[in-house]
Amino acid sequence: MTEDGIYVYAIVRADHPLPSGLGGVGDPPGAVERLDEGRVAAVVSPAPPQLRARRRDLLAHQELLLALAGAGPVLPMRFGMVAADETVVRRQLSDAAERHVAALTDLAGRVEINVKALPADDSLAALVQGDATIRGLRETVRRRPGYEANLRLGEAVATALSRRAAEAGREIVRALTPRAHAVAAGPEVSGCQVNTSFLVDRGDSADFTAEAERLARQHRDRVVLRVAGPLPCYSFLEPRALAGRAGG
Amino acid sequence: MPTTTYSGLSGEVIPCPPRAGTLYDVMELILDRGMVIDVFIRVSLVGIEILKIDARIVVASVDTYLRFAEACNRLDLEHDSGSVTVPELFGGQAVKSVGKHKAKKAASSIGDTVRSVVGGGDDSDDDSEEEAQPQRRRRSSSGRSGAASRRRRAEEE
Repeated sequence: MTEDGIYVYAIVRADHPLPSGLGGVGDPPGAVERLDEGRVAAVVSPAPPQLRARRRDLLAHQELLLALAGAGPVLPMRFGMVAADETVVRRQLSDAAERHVAALTDLAGRVEINVKALPADDSLAALVQGDATIRGLRETVRRRPGYEANLRLGEAVATALSRRAAEAGREIVRALTPRAHAVAAGPEVSGCQVNTSFLVDRGDSADFTAEAERLARQHRDRVVLRVAGPLPCYSFLEPRALAGRAGG
Repeated sequence: MPTTTYSGLSGEVIPCPPRAGTLYDVMELILDRGMVIDVFIRVSLVGIEILKIDARIVVASVDTYLRFAEACNRLDLEHDSGSVTVPELFGGQAVKSVGKHKAKKAASSIGDTVRSVVGGGDDSDDDSEEEAQPQRRRRSSSGRSGAASRRRRAEEE
């Protein structure tokens, strides 16, 4: 059953309950089980042949992790981690047991909330009125329409929208930072001016999200904010990242 | 694909995506964050480009610039209080996929401005846009549904 290896979703405590009714990656979805090894366990399923990053499999990975995270701390794996066989998994768990237990303790009761800032482009008139350069370029286009002039005007608008979103996004991140245990910059995403994850107590996550959305409304002339969470702590697995509000 | 939402051109929101688990908003975390264990093998991510995050329209491209310029040129700063939005201007195809009555709403919300710029007095839906800038339609099919969906977060409240 494991000729294609074992897909590993997460490391959890050995007593962590498995969600019922959720399959793993693959089609049909693989049966999810927990491999206990001492105090920690790996949540695994048989890896399907020719596993790729399909939408279906990404969703299966994410939904299983979300469900697991609802029942206690998890160390989420990056998508696509496959072990050759059960022995490899068990050996890894026992070799790194101390580190895993410490990381699970650090993350207990905490969740990740991700905030992305994107340009707000429904305030074009305000932008044009408020920006002398753009107003000038627009007048030029009106007097003497042409491809080059249009290009310069459009580029100035796109740049200004991105800049405004970046500024507002950074202000929002600064305002939210004191509410978080830790902050981590996310990977660059095309079109996103800011991509930042916050580590917060699960009990604070609703307040945190509400505050983020309040700030988003306050700055809606400059930025569109997308707030996702509570999520498994994808971005806070390094011990050194755990600084911030609690000081360690 | 990604888009489960169309934000109406005048701000109404049609279906909403699930919130916390929206694959779209967290895909880069699933793929680029999370724990890596070196004795495990990582599956190849070939083919991942089809899953790229919602391509926003604000990207550095000639096409985008020209559309922004078009949007600017269409503004009537004296009489318009800022109601013309870029999603409206980018909305053509997404509008159509949402339904005819949406398209009409869209057209009527920008109709006055379009007329004042184009100089036509007719009432021909969004066709007047196309006449104003015929080359726009052909190049703007990708990313458009994303454009239309982008305001869902703000409008969800």
